[in-house]
Amino acid sequence: MTNRFVVTPNLCIGCRTCELACSFRHSVNGKPGQTRIFAVAGPMKEMWVPVTCLQCEDPACAKSCLVDAISRNEETGAMEIDQEKCVKCMACVAACPFGCSIHDQQHHMIVKCDLCGGEPACAQFCPTKALVYQPVGSAKPKVVA
Amino acid sequence: MVHLTIDGTRVQAKEGEMLLKVIKQLGIDVPSLCDHDAVEPFGACRLCLVEITKQSWDGWKKYVTSCLYPVEDGLIVNTQAEKVVEARKTLIDLQLARCPGSPEIQQLAADYGITQTSYEPKIDSDNCILCGLCTRICEHMGFAAISTVDRGPDRRIASPLDEPPPDCIGCLACAINCPTNVIPYTEKGNKRTIWDKEFELITCSKCGRKTITRDFARALSKMRDIPEAYFEVCDACHRAETATNMGRIAGWSRREEAAS
Repeated sequence: MTNRFVVTPNLCIGCRTCELACSFRHSVNGKPGQTRIFAVAGPMKEMWVPVTCLQCEDPACAKSCLVDAISRNEETGAMEIDQEKCVKCMACVAACPFGCSIHDQQHHMIVKCDLCGGEPACAQFCPTKALVYQPVGSAKPKVVA
Repeated sequence: MVHLTIDGTRVQAKEGEMLLKVIKQLGIDVPSLCDHDAVEPFGACRLCLVEITKQSWDGWKKYVTSCLYPVEDGLIVNTQAEKVVEARKTLIDLQLARCPGSPEIQQLAADYGITQTSYEPKIDSDNCILCGLCTRICEHMGFAAISTVDRGPDRRIASPLDEPPPDCIGCLACAINCPTNVIPYTEKGNKRTIWDKEFELITCSKCGRKTITRDFARALSKMRDIPEAYFEVCDACHRAETATNMGRIAGWSRREEAAS
């Protein structure tokens, strides 16, 4: 795990390009799939926050999975769902306190951000760099207050 | 790593891996109904039958269910051998006699050129192929609320004493993963009924969407130490909350105050 996915809500303009990029990257049988990232309107008008999986250290999704279908990809650090193992009980969808385990109703499967295996499409396409996938340590620490 | 040949293609596989998994990874179409990665292979439906041989076997061949057969070095596998297809046809024919009303079995039969079973079709069939996938998944998840009961022709899947199963938490894993979709359940308002047991569905405290059952949430928080409060809100409202919190961290509340 040498890269970090950095979200800077102040830069998000709510264009939803990330959602489209995600949909196309995770297409099923040539058709756009369910997006794993959401541009959600923040506490104020014209303020947006891209919400996606935080790849928690102690993830509720993996804890809630009774068939152990969710595990960490040691290369990217992302929690990934083994679709063949998943029994679609919706436990992880209900358990994730950030709402980032999603039920794809069209294809009836449970999906979540997998960092596109190390090349997140959302970060590649974000026009304002609100989403960046960069090596650990290259981010400038921001002084708040 | 072991090396084997499947339908003329030389492949590498991990030791201990089951043959069916390797065959599926190659994209070869071998029918299987009772196989699921979440549980141990069981070999109930027998449809994943393949022909195996080895150079050292002097032309002798074996017919095995690939879901239960671990890969071996030097194995030569034929998934579409004449005898295999013939045996599969017989199996599907028998399944069709047991489950004449199942669309999934009918489709499988049609794929193998069978339109009518040559056996006596079962009258009033429940269309269950008795693969036990539902019971195996339920047991693996730690509930074991249902099981196979009776023997021989009377064998069926049921709850203990045919009463609402006390251990069932209404997750629907049995019904959703059933290869022939024959486990009935209903959802009405905030009530879900399966195996004659009624469950209360959790209603999102913000938007009113229905999520999992109260019993399942309770079981999860007990078994896996997840705060029960996590289950009170649906995923979309959780995301909205996350957005608000992240916005606050980004310093919007101060800006908001300044703006007003």
